[in-house]
Parts: sequence; structure tokens; C-alpha cells
Amino acid sequence: MNCRRITRRLSSWQDGELDAARSREVERHLRDCPACRGRWAGLRELQQQLLLEPPPADDPFLAARVMARLRPRPLRGGRLLRAAAWAAVFAAVSVGGFLLQAALAGNGAPAPAASYSSVLLEPQEFGLLAVHDDFLDLFNGGGREAR
Amino acid sequence: MSMDDAARSDDDIVVSVLEGRTRDYEVLIRRYSRRITLFVARMIGDNDEARSIAQDVFLKIYENLPYYRRENNFSAFIFKVARNMALNYIKRRRRTVLFSRLLGRDLDRAPFRQDPPRLLELERGEREGELNRQLRRLSEEQRLALVLKVYLEFSYRQIREVTGWSVPKIETLISRAKSRLKKNLRLQENGGKAVNPAREQ
Repeated sequence: MNCRRITRRLSSWQDGELDAARSREVERHLRDCPACRGRWAGLRELQQQLLLEPPPADDPFLAARVMARLRPRPLRGGRLLRAAAWAAVFAAVSVGGFLLQAALAGNGAPAPAASYSSVLLEPQEFGLLAVHDDFLDLFNGGGREAR
Repeated sequence: MSMDDAARSDDDIVVSVLEGRTRDYEVLIRRYSRRITLFVARMIGDNDEARSIAQDVFLKIYENLPYYRRENNFSAFIFKVARNMALNYIKRRRRTVLFSRLLGRDLDRAPFRQDPPRLLELERGEREGELNRQLRRLSEEQRLALVLKVYLEFSYRQIREVTGWSVPKIETLISRAKSRLKKNLRLQENGGKAVNPAREQ
């Protein structure tokens, strides 16, 4: 194998990318060729220098900064199903509560007035304020005198 | 990161995040943040800016998670996004420099400055190290292949997943990048002028 071919393969050999047969050829050539050994030494020196360059300092707040700027994703898959299940439970509890309240209101409570006008014509007690027919007449066309 | 989180695969975490468990995304950030920042820093040659771009990479990945397919490699997916954002930054910086030069403005005084002027660049070169500067002189393709190989320890096949290039092309790019760097560094040591890498790619 000539030096030109070896020179082309030295870099791949250094990177561990040559198969076993080609690696052996390179090694054999390097044993016999001082010029190629010089090139190989240069490559090794370069690799060492490249790795001497200090890496950028770790940024401990990078993750926190990114996380603070993320928008939450819409629910998908399993979470959506779970959310639907909770919504169904909430709806069932609401309907049940409403029905229970209606059932309790039906036991012992006064019968509901037949109409809106009948409510207005009966005396109503609202705490300290007693509403009587006379007072209601004021709203029904100006009182008895007027009639 | 807890032991349980460390044992979870990237794909499992992605599924969990897509199902609405947003907090799980933090596991992915912690898993990749150091490597993504390092990758971007070596690509653009600016450690401070790399942190800001790394943050944008993770935001972009989150937005694009629904488009990630499980049959692909998540690592390749995230590095593809990082590569695109780093290259976009380099193009934007180059355009700004060109625009400013056309206008004859002093970049240091311009309010829209994204790239330091020549004098500041010298100071920054000292700060960031000669090698970083030399990396920036490589073509974008050479730099990308070399950075993934040397600093991220990707195999040529993994580099192919990120770049879409064939393995022989990757082999050639890395080999040429190394010999270019070797030449540039030696010439630099002797006070000579560096070779233009774009002509020999």
C-alpha cells in the first residue's frame, strides 16, 4: 500500500472507523514508513489540542428558563379519557343533587301557587315587611279608590 | 435527574410529554443541554451566544415534538435542529457584518450589532482560544463533521443521521478538516498566514 492511500485512511483509522483488515494494513505501513508515522503523530497532536479547548461552562438555569417558557400541551390520549370520566362523575353528582332537592321540596312544603296573579293577591310575609292586598293594589292600577 | 428518569428512553419521555406531562421535558433538557451547548459553541465559536441558542433549540424541539417519529433517532433529531439553528446564526452574523461593511458603519457602535468588529474580534480570539478561531475558519460542512466526531464522539453513521451525507463524504470532510487545521495551526505558530479552507473543500 502506498503512502497516498495510507494518508487518506489515517484519519478514519484514528476515528476507529476502519474495519479490522484495513486497520492492520495501516498499522503495518506505519511500522515501515517514517513519513507516514510523522503524519500520524501530527494527527494525534491535533486531536490532543482540540480536546484541550475548554468546553463552555454548564448553565444550571437553562432547564428552568426553558421550562418557564413552555406552553402546556392540550390533553391527549389517556389524560383526555380521565378528564372525560371526571366530567361524567361531576354531571352525575349534579343531577343527583338536583333530584334529591326536588324530592325534599315536595314533602311537607305548601302547594305551589296556581298562578303568578294568585301569589300577588295573597298576603305574603317577607321578614319584617308584610305585603298585603292594599300594597299590592298600588302595583295593580292605583288602589281600590281608583277602581 | 432521578434513577428512574435516567433509565427512561428518549422516546418514552417524548410520548409522555406529548400526552400532556410537560414537566417530563425537563429530563430531556438535562440529558442533552451540555452536549447541545458544546456543539453550538464549537460550531459558532462563541460560548456565551451558544447558551442562548441552546435555549432556543430546546424551545423549538418542544414545539416540533409532534412531528418527531419514533422510528427515527431522537438524538439525531435534536442535533439536526441544533445544527440548523447554529448555521442560521452564522448566516445571520455574516449578513450583518456584510451589511455593516457596505454601510461603512462601525459595528461596535451600531445598535444592531451581532458580530464584534475586528478589534474586538482579536480580544475575543484571545479569550476563546486560538483553536476555536481556527475552527471557525473551516467550511461549515468540515466544521460540522469534525465537531460531531471530535467533541461529541459520534460515529460516522451517527453523523450521517444528523447530516444526511454519505459515509465516504463524511470521511473526506473530516480528513480534510484535520489536515487544514494542522496546516493552519503550524503556520500560525510560525507567524505565517492561514490557508483559505473554502478553496480546498
